[in-house]
Amino acid sequence: MASDMTLLWGSGSPPCWRVMIVLEEKGLQGYNQKLLSFEKGEHKSECVMKMNPRGQLPAFKIKDYVLNESCAACFFLECQYQCQGSKLTPECPAEKARMLQRIFEANNLGQKMGDVIYYNWKVPEDERHDSAVKRNKDALREELKLWENYLQKGNFMAGKSFTLADVVVFPLVAYGFRNGLCQERYSNLARYYNELKARPSIKTTWPPTWIDTCPGETLKDI
Amino acid sequence: MAKDITLLWVAGSPPCWRVMIALEEKNLQGYNQKLLSFEKGEHKSKEVMDINPRGQVPAFKYKDYILNESYAACFFLECQHKAQGNDLTPQCPKELAQMYQRMFEGLNISQKGIDVIAYNWRVPEGERHESAQKRNKEALTEELKLWEGYLQQGPYLAGKTFSLADVVVFPSVAILYRFGLCEKRYPNLAKYYNCLKERPSIKASWPPKWDEDIKGGPPRDLLKDI
Repeated sequence: MASDMTLLWGSGSPPCWRVMIVLEEKGLQGYNQKLLSFEKGEHKSECVMKMNPRGQLPAFKIKDYVLNESCAACFFLECQYQCQGSKLTPECPAEKARMLQRIFEANNLGQKMGDVIYYNWKVPEDERHDSAVKRNKDALREELKLWENYLQKGNFMAGKSFTLADVVVFPLVAYGFRNGLCQERYSNLARYYNELKARPSIKTTWPPTWIDTCPGETLKDI
Repeated sequence: MAKDITLLWVAGSPPCWRVMIALEEKNLQGYNQKLLSFEKGEHKSKEVMDINPRGQVPAFKYKDYILNESYAACFFLECQHKAQGNDLTPQCPKELAQMYQRMFEGLNISQKGIDVIAYNWRVPEGERHESAQKRNKEALTEELKLWEGYLQQGPYLAGKTFSLADVVVFPSVAILYRFGLCEKRYPNLAKYYNCLKERPSIKASWPPKWDEDIKGGPPRDLLKDI
């Protein structure tokens, strides 16, 4: 039941967004939630640390089951609410395999995007190298080519319908465009992004801090 | 069927090991497999690239379904062969939630272990800093403290039985001991490691040449001070 669920989240965070999309897809609106600010450091506040000793968002609980890892929450919700809301797992084994493969490949996309966008946050000044920045950008470029290729045909990551693979990957793709990724250069990704933007669960959970503010430019030359 | 399954693998790679443990647990012995040499760069060979354009192992196919990501392969095998071999998914919702949580948290221990162990492989010489490796070691230390806490009540990561959480996390723990992690400093983790070492699927898939040095690789006592 939604009333047994609590989500602490930050606007624009792909992992938080994934959980919110699944909750919408499964018709679990009305869960307890609190929007926190990364900029104010609220992800390290006591209320988060109590639920997630890693001091990360999302912090998510169903009854007393801790599911802070976004994919854990997504898998669990889909499993426990199989018959409720949209079905997010294909029956067909080929599509199911494709869904699982894309879900876990997404770690690469998230990692490589983070390596570029957060380079100066993660790496102290005296350890930074132009060669590393270049290498990270090249790696992201290669990664994006793979995803651009995966989306050559079809509107979803796996098969003919929206699945957990789209739940996991879409927020990363949206994050990329939010940070300046060029839509002309990655036209398949852009098509995927623009079509899924209109999906009800995604519209409803669109990051509030992205509305009426300008996107960034960090990825514009990728 | 095992004959529909193909695995290209490298000895000692935790992701490869995960898939092999899952195959053993589901009684899928007899799959097509090929051991490749990391030192000879065979993970970048055409044979691998044909299945995995990332040039990474495992390269894994089930019929013509590609499942190169180790977690994807493990989930798929458990799902497709639910009624075969050992049941790797708890029924109880609380334990199931814990299984998923630990599986995905496992990516942290895997990453932080690799960040230390593979530092010199991944970072070109001109970009290496002692301060960075020190930071990597501190991150791994903090991570291990969490798992030491999780394993206070053993013997498994989620509930009373061996589950997918153990399939995916055990290899990432084992590799730390390969590189000299101190058993006394993390007694719960050591107990977990030593207990699961004896499990048939883990013994059967134990990486060859585990006790040998890797040519050009990190020293075997790299983690002794963690």
